[in-house]
Amino acid sequence: MNVLEIRGLTKKFGDVVAVDNISLKVGQGEIFGFLGANGAGKSTTINMICSLLQPTDGDIRIMDHDIKLQSRFAKQSLGIVPQDLAIYEDMSAYENVSFFAGLYGIRGALLKQRTQEALEFVGLGDKAKSFPKNFSGGMKRRLNIACAIAHKPKLIIMDEPTVGIDPQSRNYILSSVRELNESGCTIIYTSHYMEEVEEICSRIAIVDHGKIIAEGTKEQLTATITDTKDIVIELKNAAGAEGDLLKGLPGVRKVSQEENVIRIHSDASVDNLNRILKQLMAEDLEIRKVEEREPNLETVFLTLTGRNLRD
Amino acid sequence: MIAWLITVKEVKQHFRDYRTLFFLLAFPIVLMLILGITLTNAFTSEVKLDGISVLVNDASSGELSRSFAAFEGELSHSGIAFEKLKPGMEGREEIGSDHYTAYVQLSDTGMSLYSSSSTTVESIIVQGMLSAFTDKYNAAAAVAQEADSAEVQAVFAGSGGNYVKDESVIPDRMPGSMDYYAMSMTVMVGLFGAMSAGGLISSERVRGTGVRLFAAPIRRSDIFIGKVMGNVVANTLCILIIVVFSKWVFKAYWGAHLAAVIAVLICEVIMATSFGIAANSWIKNGGGRGLIMLVVQLSSFIGGAYFPVADSGIMGTVAWLSPLRWANHALLSIIYNDDAAAAWPAMGFFLGAALLLLLSTVDFRRNREVV
Ligand SMILES: Nc1ncnc2c1ncn2[C@@H]1O[C@H](COP(=O)(O)OP(=O)(O)OP(=O)(O)O)[C@@H](O)[C@H]1O
Ligand SMILES: [Mg+2]
Repeated sequence: MNVLEIRGLTKKFGDVVAVDNISLKVGQGEIFGFLGANGAGKSTTINMICSLLQPTDGDIRIMDHDIKLQSRFAKQSLGIVPQDLAIYEDMSAYENVSFFAGLYGIRGALLKQRTQEALEFVGLGDKAKSFPKNFSGGMKRRLNIACAIAHKPKLIIMDEPTVGIDPQSRNYILSSVRELNESGCTIIYTSHYMEEVEEICSRIAIVDHGKIIAEGTKEQLTATITDTKDIVIELKNAAGAEGDLLKGLPGVRKVSQEENVIRIHSDASVDNLNRILKQLMAEDLEIRKVEEREPNLETVFLTLTGRNLRD
Repeated sequence: MIAWLITVKEVKQHFRDYRTLFFLLAFPIVLMLILGITLTNAFTSEVKLDGISVLVNDASSGELSRSFAAFEGELSHSGIAFEKLKPGMEGREEIGSDHYTAYVQLSDTGMSLYSSSSTTVESIIVQGMLSAFTDKYNAAAAVAQEADSAEVQAVFAGSGGNYVKDESVIPDRMPGSMDYYAMSMTVMVGLFGAMSAGGLISSERVRGTGVRLFAAPIRRSDIFIGKVMGNVVANTLCILIIVVFSKWVFKAYWGAHLAAVIAVLICEVIMATSFGIAANSWIKNGGGRGLIMLVVQLSSFIGGAYFPVADSGIMGTVAWLSPLRWANHALLSIIYNDDAAAAWPAMGFFLGAALLLLLSTVDFRRNREVV
């Protein structure tokens, strides 16, 4: 049985087609990644799954129940971690989790127990009585997750749960996602950090302009890349390598730079490494390291769309 | 049950917003103190029945005339002066120029009362006595259907002089300035419920928590009811605090029917809450806030929050546009006229208005898109 099944899902906002005829299936026990740039339509899709937006077209089934016809069942099976924090700053961490779990019909001693468990799960067990207004960004994100899991949903949908937080909190969150998954939860994980998606997701859909442009395991996706390669060159000081220095060289499709590292996306069939290095040396740039990278999801995205994920 | 969870959460949050709460409680209490002390002279501090004079134009005949004469006779013992309208006098003008407390016109088809503009409390007393008289006369008239005039007169004779005692129309005290402002400020705070109600739904949206509420397996009506009840309960608690505070610290007089007083206030809060929600659904993106502030301020001003409004004249008429006037009027009658039934019209008015206001937001509640 599929935990989630989407068929022909479309959402239009006036003339903007935010989600364009998406279909997908997510099976029991998966961590399904939803990877796409800003504005790709990830949140819009998720909001429709959670009945917060009405689809323009298409249908959604959760655990084999149509969400329109059996909305209560569908909602009961879902846990949602919204992209924007959804917690009350004027209620303690405990009160937050307990209030939201209460909406799912949990009461009494069980409510107390589940609330405490959820807080402990995200590492806020000792902060139960504290108020989120005194929390760091990472702690708020973790509370945001706790509020979604206390009622033990079958399917947890996380919309960019790691935006804007420190690496430590991020790692904590990623390992909690795995742990939740091991405890039997199916997870839909949205992100525009391809490293995260690569790390934890069992299957990935790449979304662009409201469409799923590729879907599969990480291996399946990268295996489709045969005609391009990524060359990564580390310089001592990249000042001077900016601009169009390498563009226009044979085979070079795209050059991007992060600090002193230059990444060149190029046709696999063209032997252009010598030309590239010559060009850099001609500018008196000190080369530290040269590497040809295995294609990753970034390469896949770049090859399919001609853009970087975070362009 | 689910709605109740939301109500409890709302009340909790209401009482944790210390700044707003402080404003909500301290503002009226301080005003009560300032106005109550500085404007003492605007109020008579004790009952002076002999200051009340009523001008009567009796164009009726038969039973009504005779009964009214008996009524006059009884009341003149208490010092209230009744004068016949002299030829050439225009009764309503006399009232306008403050020569009399009230002007009563009797005809065979009924009785009309006009009150003077500056002696609000005295006119309430006259009103009370006349309504006692009318009740009695109607009772007598019912008897008269089956009996003769002698029996009608017997009804009046038998209970002679009891207009005052029966209906307690003459109170032990009249509102001093503190009593008046304790009441009018409380009524004003009731209206403040509109301000917190204005943000009920939008605050969830701003905080992002609306997503969780609407994604939960609960009905939208539960969310709506829970929120409305939350606002009503929270504001009612604030009002109770003010009533209790003014009663025990300022010794303000709240009369013998506290339950009726509170019932009127609760209905007022329900109406204010509905208005806050409606205003925000009429004008989107924070514009509702402005409208709410404007209406609350204007109603407070014309409705007699800061100074007692006259019964007649333009201001007296305009005042009825303010829900505060409805509440103040009802409360004055309940407290000083001992007339608990005066709560009904005000409650009906408030609940009716609340219903209309909520109905006007129907499309807002039908909207199924929440992000
Ligand atoms: N309520 C709305 N009204 C109009 N347009 C909208 C609305 N919500 C989203 N859009 C548009 O739909 C498109 C998809 O937006 P969406 O929020 O789903 O993207 P996303 O993939 O979640 O992006 P991000 O990574 O920035 O969160 C965007 O072009 C956005 O401007
Ligand atoms: Mg998004």
